[in-house]
Amino acid sequence: MSALGHLIEQRGIATTAIGLIRLHMEKIRGPRGLFVPFELGRPLGEPEDAAFQRRVLQAALNLLERSDGPAILGDFADQAPGRLPAADWQSAVTLPTIARLADGAGAVDWMEALKGELAAVLPAWERVHTARGRTTVGVGRLPLESWASLVCAFLDGQPPDASPVPDLRAVQAARYVIDDLKALYTEAAVAPGARPSSRQVLDWFWDRTVAARLIRAVRAACLASPDKVLNLVGGGQLVPSARVSA
Amino acid sequence: MAHLEDLPPATRQRLTDLDCPTYETTPFVAGVPLRQRRVAIVTSAGLVSRGDKPMLAGDNGFRELPTALPAGDIVMSHVSVNFDRTGFQRDINIAYPVDRLRELAADGVIGSVADRHYSVMGANDPKAWDGLADGLVERLRQDRVDAVVLSPV
Repeated sequence: MSALGHLIEQRGIATTAIGLIRLHMEKIRGPRGLFVPFELGRPLGEPEDAAFQRRVLQAALNLLERSDGPAILGDFADQAPGRLPAADWQSAVTLPTIARLADGAGAVDWMEALKGELAAVLPAWERVHTARGRTTVGVGRLPLESWASLVCAFLDGQPPDASPVPDLRAVQAARYVIDDLKALYTEAAVAPGARPSSRQVLDWFWDRTVAARLIRAVRAACLASPDKVLNLVGGGQLVPSARVSA
Repeated sequence: MAHLEDLPPATRQRLTDLDCPTYETTPFVAGVPLRQRRVAIVTSAGLVSRGDKPMLAGDNGFRELPTALPAGDIVMSHVSVNFDRTGFQRDINIAYPVDRLRELAADGVIGSVADRHYSVMGANDPKAWDGLADGLVERLRQDRVDAVVLSPV
């Protein structure tokens, strides 16, 4: 964002950038930047902590008052409280016992297993959705009933003939449905008021769910495909690099 | 935790090797005190209005997020899967601090909140962003914005 700060400032409007990678801020030397020592994805530091977020935002905005630029680079000193695991956290979802599928299991078996697991996840997600009043599920723009068949269609390494979303390739549509699948689970896992670390929630998802095993299987199929787009999207946009191995 | 040494090895290597742009000029725009500024947010989280096409890799445009757009009508379409989204699921302000900005305006810390904020795809190469910056600044000026806070993921 330091680069965009430079480009906007070059056009006459003052900017201040919050930054998560200090090395990049040092290289780009944007007009004003505040390095924050938080995990990627959390530039304001702590979800559901308005006071902490406000301190971060105000520290970034305060750089606009300084006249000793250009290339002001400040540091926010405090760590985010939620980086540490919550001692007593448990997922709000009780996962059903579903037999682990054999290597090379077909789409029908995967769909059955996923639907069985979703039957347990959905009630928890609906409770969380109602309590929070919002959800991040929906970027895929497809109904839940269509998710399993679309995702499982990629298990043989070939894209379906037609995309179910007119303005996306089939693999892009599947990628965003997989984003929705992950969000459905990880939203369901965190009851309102609970404050697990991201690692706790993601350990639960990637280590314990059928959905995660299915996503890894789709990734493997895409990587083995002769289709270069499948290699690119399936290989790089489904599973975080830190979670590729089960 | 975004100290590079704390990141997974593959992510750390990718970020260390990233080709960052450098510039020959160092623009620095002065202005009125913060309490008089009209502030907009630009986030690189690939946020889009619910129902809109996701921002794909290579999309060097921007999307507008009206201040009044409810949090439930905003979804994230960033191409990268290598950052945390569980915080955003619990609280949109973790990456798009529009509620915090409203509070700062109500308390007189800033002058006012812009009518519109903006989202870009942060995974793209900033060397291709001159047109993006032109378009953004045009919209910012129409909204009388004189300060932008940039929020990454």
